[in-house]
Amino acid sequence: MKRTQKNLKRPLLALLAVLLLSVPLIFSGFPYAILICCFILLYVIAVSGLDIVFGYCGQISMGHAAFFAIGAYGSCLLHDYCGIPIMLTMVIAAVLAASVGAVIAYPASKLVFHFLSLATLSFGEIVYQIISHSPGGITNNFVGYYTESINFFGLTLDTYPRFYYYALGCAVLFLTAKQMLVNSQVGRAFIAIRENHHAADGMGVNVRKYKVIAFAVSAFYTAFAGAMYAHLVRYISPDTFMQKQSVMFLTMLLFGGTASLAGPICGVTVVMLLNELLRSAERYQMFIYGILLLAVIVLIPGGIYGTVEKAIKNVFRRKKEATKDAAG
Amino acid sequence: MLQVKDVTLSFGGLVAVNHVSMEVRDGSITGLIGPNGAGKTTFFNIASGVYTPDSGEIIFDGKNITGKRCFQINEAGISRTYQVINLFKKMTVLENVLVGMHSRIKSKFFASLLHLPSQRAEEKELRKKAMKLLEFVGLEKQANDEAGSLSYGQQRLLEIVRGMASDPKLLLLDEPAAGMNSRENDELMVLLKKIAAMGISILIIEHDMNLMMNLCDYIYVLNYGKLLAEGKPAQIQQNPDVIAAYLGGE
Amino acid sequence: MFWQLLISGLVIGSVYGLIALGYSLIYKASGLLTFAQGDLLTLGAFLGVTFFTVLKLPFVVSLVLAVGFGFAVGMLIEKFIIRRLLNKKVLIIYVVLSTIALSYIIQNGTMLAFGTKTKYFPAIFSISRIKLGSIYVQMESVVCILVSLACMLILHLFMSKTKLGTAMRAASMDRVAAEARGINVSLTTGLTWGLAAGFAALGGMLIGPVYGVYTTLGATIGKKASASAVSGGYGNMYGAIVGGLLLGIIETLVAGFLSSEYKDMISYIILLLFLFLRPTGIFNERALQD
Repeated sequence: MKRTQKNLKRPLLALLAVLLLSVPLIFSGFPYAILICCFILLYVIAVSGLDIVFGYCGQISMGHAAFFAIGAYGSCLLHDYCGIPIMLTMVIAAVLAASVGAVIAYPASKLVFHFLSLATLSFGEIVYQIISHSPGGITNNFVGYYTESINFFGLTLDTYPRFYYYALGCAVLFLTAKQMLVNSQVGRAFIAIRENHHAADGMGVNVRKYKVIAFAVSAFYTAFAGAMYAHLVRYISPDTFMQKQSVMFLTMLLFGGTASLAGPICGVTVVMLLNELLRSAERYQMFIYGILLLAVIVLIPGGIYGTVEKAIKNVFRRKKEATKDAAG
Repeated sequence: MLQVKDVTLSFGGLVAVNHVSMEVRDGSITGLIGPNGAGKTTFFNIASGVYTPDSGEIIFDGKNITGKRCFQINEAGISRTYQVINLFKKMTVLENVLVGMHSRIKSKFFASLLHLPSQRAEEKELRKKAMKLLEFVGLEKQANDEAGSLSYGQQRLLEIVRGMASDPKLLLLDEPAAGMNSRENDELMVLLKKIAAMGISILIIEHDMNLMMNLCDYIYVLNYGKLLAEGKPAQIQQNPDVIAAYLGGE
Repeated sequence: MFWQLLISGLVIGSVYGLIALGYSLIYKASGLLTFAQGDLLTLGAFLGVTFFTVLKLPFVVSLVLAVGFGFAVGMLIEKFIIRRLLNKKVLIIYVVLSTIALSYIIQNGTMLAFGTKTKYFPAIFSISRIKLGSIYVQMESVVCILVSLACMLILHLFMSKTKLGTAMRAASMDRVAAEARGINVSLTTGLTWGLAAGFAALGGMLIGPVYGVYTTLGATIGKKASASAVSGGYGNMYGAIVGGLLLGIIETLVAGFLSSEYKDMISYIILLLFLFLRPTGIFNERALQD
């Protein structure tokens, strides 16, 4: 049976690759759809980052919008004030966010999740206050900040299809890195901390160090996505980085399901599509999100992907048992 | 191997461990007994770094490890199991053992992120070694099951192999036989003797007197946080103070 | 100037205190954090302003109705959401997240029901302001401070002198032992959530006449009040009040004398400093353990 599964996997992956690559062709007369796909890709990176710290390491963050902001503003400001090419500023801003994440996580690592949620929430608020009341007004405060497109080795990514391919490449890179990381001893240490931090400590895992690593890596992901956002939209303002955004990341993650590759992808896609469906009813949007989030927590705590995965596993197990029974 | 010198720890006004000194010799199985609330687990928590003693010293392998944190003590070569089962329930049995090996892993963060050849080779070695350990206690068939799905006795065994995974010189076992039936108990005794024969010293807390008398080379008795008696099992059995504490206490 | 600022600090501080009191009560009773307190304040304020201006009920009646409604909502939240989740043994963090969902539902629900315009209480009292020494103080401010302090006192008496209050305290200290003594712990837990929500609604009724009523009124107050709860010592009733008053005063004084730009940042900085440096708060409450 394993063989058939493996045989199925290859063509399915190929099909998926073809499908993803041909998105700009499919929607060639409908650029708005390509833009949505760009957003989905960058949010997948942001939410996968959150998944590392929350899904794998079990540490709540209610301030990830702050890292998103550091990535976005960091990249724009570095480009404008220091003249560094955007390709580089995106990485520098993400590294900056990772350092900030580490600095915050070090003292926060001793807090239990309740108080960690308060600490991360305040961190998010402080960053929001800084960008909206910036010293010397370097972020243009509430007016917002205009920036340029990414120059990808001479090619300006100023059309949606171009940006789409770039974002697809980034998403594949980041998701692959995430899988590599969580399938190594680092990922095992994360999960061990989530499952039982006393035992993890006793088994030689430096709990504080790994919490700091989880936060830093997570911040890097989300900040990079923030930089992508800035250079896709070419305009950023504090509105995008309010606490609402942090909750949105959490909603997307919980919707899809935590601690998996596909969870964030499912969650982001579903929430983004919902977003579009609800666009005409913008007034009700946040209200409906609240209800959906509550419904997911109360009814399917594993998220969409988690629940589907479990169901499939159950079906397989039943089949296995059935064949066993038949054989026995 | 392990020398504990005059260790005291109190919580608020309560002295949980009161001027206790003891020693675990190389390759020996040393027992720690005493009525409930005598401070045995607290003593373990001091030795494994959960608590820092108010006074006294802990010397391990010639090095002062007093006040070191848990993971550092694990690195130094002391590993432990817990009285209440403390497995990583949602990880597989194999992964639990792999986490146990954490302090012996050489690959660093970026090697793990990029799955460099050196890291892959090491990971392969680790898995092989982990499977061998699981075979040692007979859990190899369950290697890919969730740890939480094991039976109670199997979970106890997994705690022990997870503790052994870091190649410790000293293993602290906190009531490993709790909740086991008599057959499992016998198997455990054989297993512990095998572990000691491999050169891993053992310090064990256990209520089952029969098991302790047959297993241990030397026994310390704690009562109300104080060292009440020490000696060979036969001496302990004869000791009037110990008999009084047990008969009077229960 | 100073006295004027001090009074405004006390006004907002007493409301922080009321909300923080709710946090502490809930933390003691259920070991949980809630993020819905602030939005319950908004709900209370909207209901109150509706009772008062649309239904033309007397202010005191509106207040009692709003608080009663808040109390009921709090109990319902505990019964139908919190307890259900706890019984399902989900990770605790999901229970906390459910309160965030609730906060979004309440906040946006009030927006849908009452609109986005700020609503103002018409003059409530025949005397609009009184003279205290050299300064004039709005009557609403005086009422806000006095009523919240009175309610805190009543809560203290209720908790320490009445049978039900003692039962609630016992249940929050040791659930099992309290159950063994015949205390209905699910009832006392529900009452605690009701009480906390009632306090939030009361806060809304008191601050509404001073600030006006709008949909994000409570969200900010709720977040800042968590700074007062932490600085006082999370889970400590008296710490919540002291922390609330102090935070209100510090915030207002900084805004008045230094710069109003960073007014909103102060409470979050205080919150972080306490969490990182002195997590047990001023009253040294041992709430944060691993």
